[in-house]
Amino acid sequence: VGAAVLGVTVVLGLLSFSGVAGAAAHKGTPPKVAKHVIPPSHPPYLQFNSGTADSSQRLFGKNGQLLSYGNKWVTYYLPQMLVTGDWCKAKSAKSCTPDLLISLGHQLYQQNCEACHGVHANGVSSQINGYVAYPSLLGLGPATYDFWIESGRMPAASTPLTQPMRRPARLDHLQALALSAYLTNLPGSSATPYIPKVANLAGANLSDGAALFAMNCAACHTITGDGDALAYSTFAPSLRDIPATQVAEALRTGPANMPVFSGNLTDGQLRDVVAYVTEKIQHPQNPGGLGLGGIGPVAEGFVGLALGVGLLALVGFWIGDRS
Amino acid sequence: VSDHQAGADGARREPTRTPVPLPTTASWSDPHFQPAAQHPEFVERLIALLFVAGLGSFCAFGAAYWQNWAPWALGLCFGAGLFLVGTGITAWGKYLMPRGPFVEERHVLQSATEDVDAFTNALVERGGTPMKRRKVLGGLLGAGMGVFSITALFPLLRSLGPLPGNTLATTDWKPGTYLVDQMGKRISIYAYAVGSYVTVFPEGWQDKDRGQAVDQTMLVHLQADGPIEGMPAGRSTWTPSGYVAYSKICTHAGCPVGLYERELELLICPCHQSMFKLAEGAIPIFGPAPRPLPQLPLAVDEDGYLFAQAGYNQPVGPGYWERP
Repeated sequence: VGAAVLGVTVVLGLLSFSGVAGAAAHKGTPPKVAKHVIPPSHPPYLQFNSGTADSSQRLFGKNGQLLSYGNKWVTYYLPQMLVTGDWCKAKSAKSCTPDLLISLGHQLYQQNCEACHGVHANGVSSQINGYVAYPSLLGLGPATYDFWIESGRMPAASTPLTQPMRRPARLDHLQALALSAYLTNLPGSSATPYIPKVANLAGANLSDGAALFAMNCAACHTITGDGDALAYSTFAPSLRDIPATQVAEALRTGPANMPVFSGNLTDGQLRDVVAYVTEKIQHPQNPGGLGLGGIGPVAEGFVGLALGVGLLALVGFWIGDRS
Repeated sequence: VSDHQAGADGARREPTRTPVPLPTTASWSDPHFQPAAQHPEFVERLIALLFVAGLGSFCAFGAAYWQNWAPWALGLCFGAGLFLVGTGITAWGKYLMPRGPFVEERHVLQSATEDVDAFTNALVERGGTPMKRRKVLGGLLGAGMGVFSITALFPLLRSLGPLPGNTLATTDWKPGTYLVDQMGKRISIYAYAVGSYVTVFPEGWQDKDRGQAVDQTMLVHLQADGPIEGMPAGRSTWTPSGYVAYSKICTHAGCPVGLYERELELLICPCHQSMFKLAEGAIPIFGPAPRPLPQLPLAVDEDGYLFAQAGYNQPVGPGYWERP
């Protein structure tokens, strides 16, 4: 029998080997390669309404500054646009200008950020673990500033050796807006994305959001959104307890090692993903009654073995005892 | 046991009770044996019948396999064969073998010489009657299991499916194939921000099983423009406008390498944490992956859409015997 098995295996191996010899020759006429690629004046292929200023609804200020852009799904605002009237009323009417917000931001920058990121916010050349430890803050866009400050990661108490972690925010909402406004207003720093506000989350398509989440987010954050370890002491953080605005900001700006989702994700899809994260990921249903933290098959297998097999063993002992 | 240990004076004490030896001349009427074995010839014929039926079932299974009968007929023949032979073996052990309980007094570990002799004699003599060889049953069982062994080889001959040929070595990326996303939309170099990625497929294959299995490719917009430092020699034209494309199938075990770390410029495989350097031809720098991810040479057409200059520079996925 052993010889027969060996013989059959050898025959199969020879048969399959004979089919592989030689790579297939490709046919077909390749398209003409452009020597100098120049974007056409009206690029029909650019993805509108996907996080760039190319959006269907845009609002300009008196001096021509783009104040907000967006569409019926998401609107992106300059920080000044998000300051509520209450703060303005507390000041004298004359000084209630965007400049006051920016000067407040300047004070906050000097108090909290300047020591590491430099007087001109253009960063300090210093590397830790392969990172630029104190990166330049110019030209990142208000959404980036707002995300890092409102998620409590910045200002950091000390130099983060690996990856800053989410904490209770050091600066309040108004201070975050002021800092964002100041940094956005620095010379050569005006840039998108602005701070996204998702409209009508209840109207989002949750099943599309789930599919997009599984395709783009679950690889790192896991399918339950609890996060997982990555390379060089970095990790994908848990997605629990993150406000909708910060989810949208993270998607559009790609904080730290996260990829940027801009161009490959329309604002409609962004709303679907944000709704899925804030409604389903952050409110998990555990039909079995015990979610076990949703951290995957290792924990579930351990509990299954310890409890399930242990219980079976007890039943076995009981039956053996009775007979 | 303590009764039989050496006494305080060190002298070896004889066992207080002599063990009762097994009956030296066993017979079928002995209560140690199964009452059903009062008629061994009848039982033997019955078991032989089971073995013959099992042998027939295995033969029928072989015939059914070659004749391409319905799966339920194959299963029925195979199952009946196993059941009949198994029942026969069980009956053999139950009715034609000595059965206990045998009660023996405990004795010292080393038996007295006369006990050993008596036991030897008893064993030799006792072996005569109930433990006789049954050539017919043994032969039938051997034949049944022989046919069973041969039929077990059948799957090797036919049921393993068609040979893979060179499909393992090729993908559907050909020179001039356009890159499309999951929805079939072509990829414009102007549409994706630096630091973004998208899983792409050869145009026309994005909704096909084979396309989604072997053609899936990680397209990463690594930098704004210019040649990428660290790329292996000869690949300077493969990365237009800072876009790089690698097979999404890990060279270790075939998992989807979908974890893109933007600042570290790494692709990570979620299964065994293999890490690939995006800027250096996706060489593995950690983990069990033995080879770089296959790279897809890219080019841009006059309208700014990405297409493949050629197929992958090597077969995708994990290694296999005949990998060229």
